[in-house]
Amino acid sequence: MFHWLEKNPFFFAVGVFVTIAFAGLVEILPNFAEQSRPVIGTKPYSTLELAGRHVYIKNSCNACHSQLVRPFKSETDRYGHYSLSGEYAYDRPFLWGSKRTGPDLMRVGNYRTTDWHENHMKSPASVVPNSIMPGYAWLFTNVADIDTAYAEQLTVAQFFSVPYNQPVPMKDGSTAVVKMGSSVADANALALAEAKVIVADMRDQDVKDAVASGKIPEIVALIAYLNSLK
Amino acid sequence: MNKLTLWGIVFVLAMLLFTYISVSGSEGGLHGDIINQLGVAGAVALVIITVYVVVGYVRQMQEKTADGQLADEQWDGIGEYLNEVPTGWAVMFLGTMIWGMWYWVAGYPVNSYSQIGEYNEDLAVQNAKYEAQYGSITGDRLVEMGESVFLAECKVCHGLTADGIDGKAANLNQRIAAKSVKYTILHGSNNELLGMEMPMPDRNGLFNANSGALITDAEIDAVATYVANGLSGTGAGANIFAGTCASCHGADGAGMDMVAPSLKAFSPKLVTNVLNHGKKAAIGTMPSFATKLNSKQKEAVGAYITSLSK
Repeated sequence: MFHWLEKNPFFFAVGVFVTIAFAGLVEILPNFAEQSRPVIGTKPYSTLELAGRHVYIKNSCNACHSQLVRPFKSETDRYGHYSLSGEYAYDRPFLWGSKRTGPDLMRVGNYRTTDWHENHMKSPASVVPNSIMPGYAWLFTNVADIDTAYAEQLTVAQFFSVPYNQPVPMKDGSTAVVKMGSSVADANALALAEAKVIVADMRDQDVKDAVASGKIPEIVALIAYLNSLK
Repeated sequence: MNKLTLWGIVFVLAMLLFTYISVSGSEGGLHGDIINQLGVAGAVALVIITVYVVVGYVRQMQEKTADGQLADEQWDGIGEYLNEVPTGWAVMFLGTMIWGMWYWVAGYPVNSYSQIGEYNEDLAVQNAKYEAQYGSITGDRLVEMGESVFLAECKVCHGLTADGIDGKAANLNQRIAAKSVKYTILHGSNNELLGMEMPMPDRNGLFNANSGALITDAEIDAVATYVANGLSGTGAGANIFAGTCASCHGADGAGMDMVAPSLKAFSPKLVTNVLNHGKKAAIGTMPSFATKLNSKQKEAVGAYITSLSK
């Protein structure tokens, strides 16, 4: 065998490549797998949060806002604990972003609330003087796409084993269960129940009326998503 | 002088000429710019050394033949000379081996770089500096610090002047607004303002000792106005306050330790508790700043807010 390899340099090269590649994978892959495992306290997104994430992506929020706190004191003072790779375990795709025209939003749920987001999304300059962020008035009238969010939930649950309807460990030692509907109608009902909790803290009467009539404006989904960023 | 050396000299001169032309054509040129001068010196040295070495090796290839004693063994007609190991090579070989052992045993495990490690070191240094510089400040400096923390963390909701931006958040220039008093009486309060669970009952638990009955809508409005006006004046509001609220908040509204907070003025302690626990009341929800600010910063914000309503 070795004699044969010595006489056939091409196959010898292939053999060397395979051997080194295999050794490399053995070294690298377990580390990757360990790092990308969700950290304790990271939950999958609920239906409404996922719909909000789609709104976030659709409006290109990630073009101006990053979701990655780097380990520098100036950043951790402002945004909270630096990001860990496991915290992105359920982000498909992750929204790290590469430019901060606006502040980082990795942990915005820790220090902003529903009512603030409502004021801010309507007219950013009304709460942050000199803000260059535009208002997002259409989010208050557009209806969020719950069906697509549910489709994504089903897909990731099936192909990536995202633990919906299963206990997920939380930081305080308890467990949390993120529910996924068993049918499209069920998913819509779950999202509506979540939306009602959000809307209770909001002031816009049109949004409240829309949710009361069973429609979920995009702003509600987006706020649910932003509140989940912790 | 043979042909090879001649070519080498010609090449060096040509390269020096190019260098001279390109440098003198650039902005700044050779005069008055130490970086350009160093660069040119380096380029000159590089050209001369390179040509010298290359000429040396080419000549060696042209002229030198192998010599020395052949070893007895040979492999398919290929033999080797019994030359001494070159000293420089031997030293480097041994040195690399020794360095390698050190690196595997101590160098890498003990000194390997970690981004988080650097962050932790930086954090320790910064915190020590902070503690030394600000750990014991009091009085006006504490208020100043509170203002700068307020402008960094609190102004997005409470506004630059702490006026609450048209009712979007609490106006901190006054202790409490009538709307908030009313809301608290109607819904009770459980915001851990004292740093612990000490719920205030809602209207169904608020008994007016003067009238001998539960507090009424009209009485709520009256007492809300009275409290919002800083508990000044007499009249209906003052009486209702004395009959209903004073038992916990004190006759003068200054609060009681472990029982109820002051309704007259903010105190750093009250503000710290709100920062630690967040708050959900008439206007909306305030998030907790328990981990975002350190204890000195909370104290400072408390001092600043207390100073605002004085």
